[in-house]
Amino acid sequence: MKAILFVFPFVLAVAYFPISQCQNLPLIEQTCKQTPYYGLCVTSLKSDPRSKTAGDVQAIALIMVDIIKAKAGGSLQHIEKLKQKYPALRVPLSACKDRFNAIIIGDVPQAVEALTKGDPKFAVDAANDAALEADSCERGFSGKSPITQMNKLNHDISIITASIVKTML
Amino acid sequence: MADSNVSYNPLPDGERPRPTRRRSIVLVLSGLLVVGFLVALLSDNGSIAPANVIDNDNNNVNDNAKNGLNDVSSSSKEPERLRPFTSASSAGVSEKSNRRFGSRTASYPWTNNMLSWQRTAFHFQPQKNWMNDPNGPVFYKGWYHLFYQYNPNGAIWGDIVWGHAVSKDLIHWYHLPLAMVADQWYDIMGVWTGSATILSDGKLMMLYTGSTNESVQVQNLAYPADPSDPLLIKWVKYPGNPVLVPPPGIGAKDFRDPTTAWLTSEGKWRIAIGSRINRTGITFVYDTKDFINYELLRGVLHGVPNTGMWECVDFYPVSTTGEHGLDTSHNGPGVKHVVKASMDDDRHDYYAIGTYHEKNVTWVPDNPEIDVGIGIRYDYGLFYASKTFYDQNKKRRVLWGWIGESDSEIADVKKGWASLQGIPRTVALDTKTGSNLLQWPVEEVDSLRLTSKEFEKIELKPGSVMPLDVGSATQLDIVAEFELDKAALEKTAESNVEFSCSSSEGSAERGALGPFGLLVLADDSLSEQTPVYFYIAKGKDGSLKTYFCTDQSRSSEANDVNKSKYGSFVPVLEGEKFSMRVLVDHSIVEGFAQGGRTTITSRVYPTKAIYGAARVFLFNNATGASVTSSLKAWQMNSAFIRPYPDDDDERHSGTEPTHEVRGSKTKYLGNLLTSSLLFLNARNNFL
Repeated sequence: MKAILFVFPFVLAVAYFPISQCQNLPLIEQTCKQTPYYGLCVTSLKSDPRSKTAGDVQAIALIMVDIIKAKAGGSLQHIEKLKQKYPALRVPLSACKDRFNAIIIGDVPQAVEALTKGDPKFAVDAANDAALEADSCERGFSGKSPITQMNKLNHDISIITASIVKTML
Repeated sequence: MADSNVSYNPLPDGERPRPTRRRSIVLVLSGLLVVGFLVALLSDNGSIAPANVIDNDNNNVNDNAKNGLNDVSSSSKEPERLRPFTSASSAGVSEKSNRRFGSRTASYPWTNNMLSWQRTAFHFQPQKNWMNDPNGPVFYKGWYHLFYQYNPNGAIWGDIVWGHAVSKDLIHWYHLPLAMVADQWYDIMGVWTGSATILSDGKLMMLYTGSTNESVQVQNLAYPADPSDPLLIKWVKYPGNPVLVPPPGIGAKDFRDPTTAWLTSEGKWRIAIGSRINRTGITFVYDTKDFINYELLRGVLHGVPNTGMWECVDFYPVSTTGEHGLDTSHNGPGVKHVVKASMDDDRHDYYAIGTYHEKNVTWVPDNPEIDVGIGIRYDYGLFYASKTFYDQNKKRRVLWGWIGESDSEIADVKKGWASLQGIPRTVALDTKTGSNLLQWPVEEVDSLRLTSKEFEKIELKPGSVMPLDVGSATQLDIVAEFELDKAALEKTAESNVEFSCSSSEGSAERGALGPFGLLVLADDSLSEQTPVYFYIAKGKDGSLKTYFCTDQSRSSEANDVNKSKYGSFVPVLEGEKFSMRVLVDHSIVEGFAQGGRTTITSRVYPTKAIYGAARVFLFNNATGASVTSSLKAWQMNSAFIRPYPDDDDERHSGTEPTHEVRGSKTKYLGNLLTSSLLFLNARNNFL
């Protein structure tokens, strides 16, 4: 009997308190609904543990910027490997390296500054530019790109980030 | 007792064996947990289609995504559709060159040659790094001062401090040391935009926004350390800063860019600061006697729903009768007031003309349909965070605007700089229409004019392009007039479709009465060209409506630059010819139509139409009318913008540095040098 009394409130709480709150899903979903790539937005954010405790859209946006940075960094490493594998594609691959470098040393710092210091429109610019750089990298192959999926991913997460920050304006 | 088959472990002392009832509770508990989990899962249905996100240009973002080059905040589309530009009767245009541009060209590698060409000759820009908003423009003790948002550490926005430069004529600028840096808790996250006020006794007060250590936007007071120093090199921040913090109910990041103050009839100083309440952009008004203590006046000066945050608010009087400017404090008969704001959302500067009621601190627009944020823009291209000041030296109101880059970050990083200030413009009410302002490059720009070429009454039949031999074509001032034959204007059929520069096919869209105008930064084969032109549409009631546009879609073979078309309607009154003035200064093109009723600033980044390979053409791509044009084109000198010489004597006297390149002899030598360099570069391009 005592055990039931002890356990029952817990049971109620569990039954009626959506599990989703623990994962901060309402904020993530609300935010991602305002981007053109809802699914990718949600999975990207969920893959980062910080999204569970992000308190507002600004925090979500900063996580996305970090994801842009991580993906760009990973892309750079991949490009280095591909240069060995496809010597004939050295020229467009080098151009891509410059593009992803620009994202890391230009766009990402500007986006972080803009979000943390309180003028988010510059983060929209930076995220849009990151998408442009990924797109430009892809175009450099004139249709014969070995990294199409990677470029699309970089492009899409950048667009997601720009959309999210735009809601803050 | 018989031994049972159930093995049992002896329990430690003190514990009773668990009753089987506990097991059923556990089962119930688990069951409820499962139910609860399922409920939670199902209520957050994950498979929702992406929302239809509409950005500010009313483009469905998802459609843009399908188009590939997706830009959330502008309407740039795939530039690949390219129509043949002319009919057979054209002179010198090759269809082949147009087709080549239309193919999927590889991503363009920017060479140092192309990038270094982009720096301007007579527009203000620092020697390197990032710049944005113009700040605190003022004329003080014989010098024009320009401060600006500056990043001393890179070609991106960040670490913002106040840059500083001085000039005697708004054209020849000298760089000075940074005026203010982020060294106080109340501006450690950014020394942001502000304005200057000269008091009746000549004292100079600077109010600016600081982003605090907690990223709260506050207003701070600063003043010259030595008011007798005409160069105003050192600045002091008021020790009691901040003087203003966000009012109750206003977001910590929605309170910035204080205006120049104006005197009320009670002898108090009044300022405006932009903000927002939800999606309504507003401007607060404060009264002060000492620039330290402020009284927030009730309500707001004005607000417009659905315009978002108002940045860089500006508020000033214009004369309804004359062209001369008015001191910011001026009020009385024959005066209208302009409210201007920069819309954070769509990155455009809007203004509206109306009436200011000092007593109840309100301003009412003449025409609410073209209110602030929903009506007229200063400029239909790249032009933001603009600010005017009253130039008491020449009794005019001068407008500065920040012109950002529309290329990609990789180029900015490579070239080591980003952004320009637009050419300073005078601003006055258009007394002929009464409903818009006129903007025109300050008259000192004319002093840069060197040799000129004049062309009289050139007839351009429909579908023709005519090269203009003007010499070098990267630093030009062109004033052109166009006339269409009256018969063509009358017999043209009416159209139901509303024309828009940005959604048209640009200069390739042939109408009966347009487009016609100039092709600047074009190369011989026209594979790169930037048309600046008029397009006349005939409305349903037979009335003519003229549009002024700039088309960037073929401005460069590079595909990582903005290719959109800019422009808007321009009033053309009875008896007026179609007239435009175009300033070309390397990577900036500024067009002024009908004396400055409509203006367009664009950034252009050609890969071939640079140095000696750049050309200018006249064109008429209309189908139903010939156009006659007369124009004059001047070569423009450089403004030789450079650091103020590090000489204590000259700094003290505040006179213009002696070893600067002026006077006819040095001007001649300068031009000789420039021409030689151009020739050498042109040779390099062909080698």
